[in-house]
Parts: sequence; structure tokens; C-alpha cells
Amino acid sequence: MPFGYHGRCLWIDVTDGSVERVALPDSLLRQFIGGSGLGAKLLVDAGQADADPLATTAPLIFAFSPFVGSPLTTSAKFAVVSKSPLTNRINDSLASSGFAIAGKRCGCDAICLTGRAVRLSVLIVDDGQVRLESAERLAGFTCAATEATLKTDLGGDFQIASIGPAGERAVRYATISHDGRHAGRGGSGAVLGSKNIKAIAVRGTQRCDWAYPRQVTEYSKSLSKRSFGPATAKYRELGTAANLLAFNRLGALPTRNFQQGCFDQAHSISAEHIRATYNRTRASCVACTIGCEHIYALGDSDGVRLEYESLFALGPLCGIADADAVLRASRRCDEIGIDTISTGGTIAFAMECVERGWLDEPWLTFGSVEAVRQAIELVGRREGVGNLLSEGSRRVAEAIGHRSIDFAPQVKGLEIPGYEPRALQTMALGFAVGSRGADHNRSGAYEVDFSDKVDRRHVTADAVRYAIETEDKAALMDSLIICKFLRGVFEDFFAEAADMLRHVTGWAATADELRETAKRIVSTKRQFNVLAGWTPDEDTLPERFLNTPLPNDPEAFLSHDRLRSLVAEYHRQRGW
Amino acid sequence: MRVELFGLPRERAGVAEIELQVDTLGQLFGVLATQFPSLGDLIGVNHLSAALVANLNGDQFVSDPALPLGKDDRVLILSADAGG
Repeated sequence: MPFGYHGRCLWIDVTDGSVERVALPDSLLRQFIGGSGLGAKLLVDAGQADADPLATTAPLIFAFSPFVGSPLTTSAKFAVVSKSPLTNRINDSLASSGFAIAGKRCGCDAICLTGRAVRLSVLIVDDGQVRLESAERLAGFTCAATEATLKTDLGGDFQIASIGPAGERAVRYATISHDGRHAGRGGSGAVLGSKNIKAIAVRGTQRCDWAYPRQVTEYSKSLSKRSFGPATAKYRELGTAANLLAFNRLGALPTRNFQQGCFDQAHSISAEHIRATYNRTRASCVACTIGCEHIYALGDSDGVRLEYESLFALGPLCGIADADAVLRASRRCDEIGIDTISTGGTIAFAMECVERGWLDEPWLTFGSVEAVRQAIELVGRREGVGNLLSEGSRRVAEAIGHRSIDFAPQVKGLEIPGYEPRALQTMALGFAVGSRGADHNRSGAYEVDFSDKVDRRHVTADAVRYAIETEDKAALMDSLIICKFLRGVFEDFFAEAADMLRHVTGWAATADELRETAKRIVSTKRQFNVLAGWTPDEDTLPERFLNTPLPNDPEAFLSHDRLRSLVAEYHRQRGW
Repeated sequence: MRVELFGLPRERAGVAEIELQVDTLGQLFGVLATQFPSLGDLIGVNHLSAALVANLNGDQFVSDPALPLGKDDRVLILSADAGG
């Protein structure tokens, strides 16, 4: 067994709490490393790609990595991998902090769940020993209340990952939350809820040794020092919300369900305005030196972590210019346990359907703070129109008809993040081909658009290799796992990743080997999707974004033919 | 010509927009670094650090220090890292 690993995973059938400890061969670990890569491989090998993602047989995998528990900054992360109930394709979602460390100390590199508990339960993995306890008293609890209650009941040294009421009710974009962070996209919370598991509590004592402890320590110090530098200053000083005004200036800020690329009231919800208006504290995940979290006080109880994606989705996308309302909506999504991007995208889409007279909910209008607030509550309870909206924009469009699917803001069913595809066309390609749908975390192609490598509104086939590079880099970062906010500190990421992996595991890893590993991981996700029924037609964008320029920016035009040729070139370069 | 600052450079400089008289992009970087010492670690001689990028008139992203600038041009300085 290599250093940095336990060399086994736990397969737990939550129907009866039975456990199988399955050895993970060295060769498999080296080929897939951990996190998203290991989770994707375990998911493919489980042979359930064609199963309903909410079926008892469908696996839900929590995958750790060789770096978890090491002093490498930002390494306290875990991946949650399953078939998505939103997309019916693979979903790998990452979250941070103490759950990763405590979970790995249970003596395993992954915890895989199948089955369905007979009653709402807590799955407890205590140093590798597994038991189920009733969680019926926690039904309807928010994620934070669930964690607090379980820590009181079980002990403060347990780390908890939980679902809110939305996960219990199988909202298709429900999250799994831990310590205020969320495995947010793709509905992994609904998968956990389908297993009747309200929370997983982990603690353990089993540590992994590192191959070269002195080198691990020295490298970690160097990486931490660099993490204090200019490459991460944006995250420390303003946070991701700083994107909003820049995107607005470039016409790339999705507004009113992607009908526009500029929001005329952007200043009133900008990071700069919010920072000047609200008291702010900063926080970090466990084992992180960046400290990107900006938590704003709302004058009542808990503050709210604000990220650009929540800000855009619950603000301009819904036509909302009230910062207080956006902050409160974001906090409510966290409490209920729903993904803010899919929430905002689905509500904004419904608002446009109301405008067009296709949905008889006259209160649900762009710019209405009360409408957004009420819609979130209804989604969390699956009541009234909330029951429909809890299915995500693609299923809402299928129910409404009228070819509303043409402007449902999704790819493969996953709502599009805050990057207008017509204004950022390398990102448009990344969205179209993403294995889990429209996604800014598995493709960093926006980096290419924000450079002089391409003309962001007229991209050509030259952009494809850059898009692939960002996708490969993301796949490796999500498997090692280290935070993408570190990516700017590396001169040569693959070479440094090989150094880190060598110090921790003892493998004679090279940059070239890791480039191949990254491609293997991307291909494995694709393999799952093919087994789940993927067809080439899925790798596209909604009609709204094709053959029609952005209002006020005729240069922001992406034709059917150009996107089709970019996707074809992407498939060719991937060898698919 | 005018310079528009966004995000981190705006926060550091304390201004959103300034008017400058420069002939090239490289000169612009130099003037910014001199005028706003708080941007020192973000701007080098004739180039921005990897943390920042420059955009000309909301269209092309640019980096060539020899790029000529006209009096009607607007250069946007923003974070390179657009991740959310």
C-alpha cells in the first residue's frame, strides 16, 4: 500500500448497516488518485450507471485523497460522487473542512453508500465501526441545526455532513453540507435523502504516514507562503463576489434569465457596496491559508457566506437589486440545503415563463424580492409551484412545453453558472461538453476568455486545446484534492503536483504521468455518462445562446455551426 | 485615455476610474505602479502580475507593453482569476 492511503474503502448498505471493507489496489489508486477521480472509478465499477439515481441500488460515494490530513494547504477536502438526479449523468461535487480529515481517519479512502434505511437515520462511522441511529427527531432540521444537535448528542469530535429539509424531500438540486460548506451542485443531497440518511457522522484515529515527511513539511511551508501572495489576494481581500462589476462591464453578467448580459443596477449588489454596508468577518476551511470566505452580518442571527455564484443567481439572474434580499436568500438556500445556482436559475426561468404567459403564477416576477423569497420556501417544502421548481429548469420546461426548453438555462439539466456563454465563448464550449453539465468548476475555460489567447466573442478551433487544458487541470486538482483558488500560485502545476504526490505517496510520479492521469479521469466520467445513455447531441447549449446575439452587444454572437464545430474538435482532440 | 479598475485593483487603489496621458500599455502599467504603491505587488515593469489582466475598451484582452493607446481608449484592469 502506498503512503498517504489506507488502501481500502467501506461499502455500507444503509438498509441494515452492514459493511464490506474492500481493498483498493495500488494500481487503481495511482491511476485515479483520490477525490473525484477515485469516486468516478468506483462509481463506474459499481455497475449502476443505468439505475435511477434515487434508487436504493444507486451508490453515493464520499472519496478522500492522499493529501487529506497532510499539512498541504487547502487539502482538507472530500468529493461526493454519484449519478445526479438532476442530470441523470455523473455528478462529482466537492466540499471542504474537518469532515474530510475525520472521515479519512476512519481508516478508509472512501465511504460508499447503497440501500435505504428503514427510517430517517444518522450513519455513524466511528473509527471504522459503523452503526445507524434514528434521526427522526431531526426531520425538517436545517443543515446547521442538524450538525449542532448531533455534535451535542454524539460528541464534539464528530464531524457531520448532512442534508436539510430539501434533501429529505428529494429536491433535485439539494446539497450535502458540512460546517457551512456545501457539496452543492447536481443534487447529491437528494441522493443521500433517498437513502433515508439525514447525516453522516465520522470520527477516527487512524492516520496515514507520508513517504518523505521532511519534504512534505518543507513543501507545505513553501506552498503556504505562496498562498499569501498576489495570486490569491482577490480571494482574501474581496472574495469571489468581486467578479460582479467586472463581468457587468464586459457584458458577461447573466441577467433576467440570460436575456441580457448587463444589469443596470449591478452597483447596488456589488461586493464593493456590500462590503461598505455590512459588517464582515473572514473565515477559512480547516487546513487552509487563503481565507476566502467573506461572511456578512445581517443583524439578526447567523451571517452569510457570499460567493459570486450565489450573488449572480439570486440577484441579476432574477432581476433583484436589493443586496439585503440577496444575502438573505442565499442564507435561506444554505439552511434548506439547496444549490444557489440551480435555485436562482430555475426561479429565473419560471419568471420568464410567467412573463410569456406560460405559467400561471402572476406573483413570480423579475425584480420581486418577495417572489424569490417565497419561491425558495416553496421549493424547500415542495409545495405549490415549488414542487415543480424543485425538479430543476429542464423538467420545468418539459412540463410547460411551448418550446420553453429553448431558454431553460441548463446543459444536461444542470443550471448554467454566472458566465454569459455568448460573451465568453471558450466557457461556452466548456459548458457544452461538461460531464456533469454546465459547470465552472470542472472546466476553467473562462480563464482562457479572460486572456489574450483568444477573442472571447469570436473563438475558433484554437481555443479547444486551451479548454481541454483547463478541464484536465481541474480534474487533477479535484482528485489530489487541492483548492482551485491556489491555481495561480503554480508556475507549472503538473510538475508541482508530481512533486507533492511523490513526497506524500513515494510514487515516482512525473508531470507527464499526471497529464495522462487527468485525461483518464475525464474519460472515466465520460465512460459513466455513456453507460448512462449519453448521446453526442447532449454536448450543446440551449437555443437562446445560438444564432442570436446578446442585446446591446452584436459582437457576442455564437452560431450553431461554430459551436458544433468547436464541440466536434473537442471530441476529436479527446479521441472520443 | 481612461483606466477603469475593478475588484482587487479598485479596492487597493481606492478609486474606480482615473484619467491618464500615456502612449502605450507599458507606460500605463508604470504610471499605475507609481501612482498607487498599494498595487506594487500586482504590477511589474511593463507587465501585470499573473493576478491581473488588462482589457481594451471592453473588447480584447491585451498584454503587449508596446500596444499604442489613443486618447479615447479605455483600459480595464481586473483580476485574471474569474472563478466563482
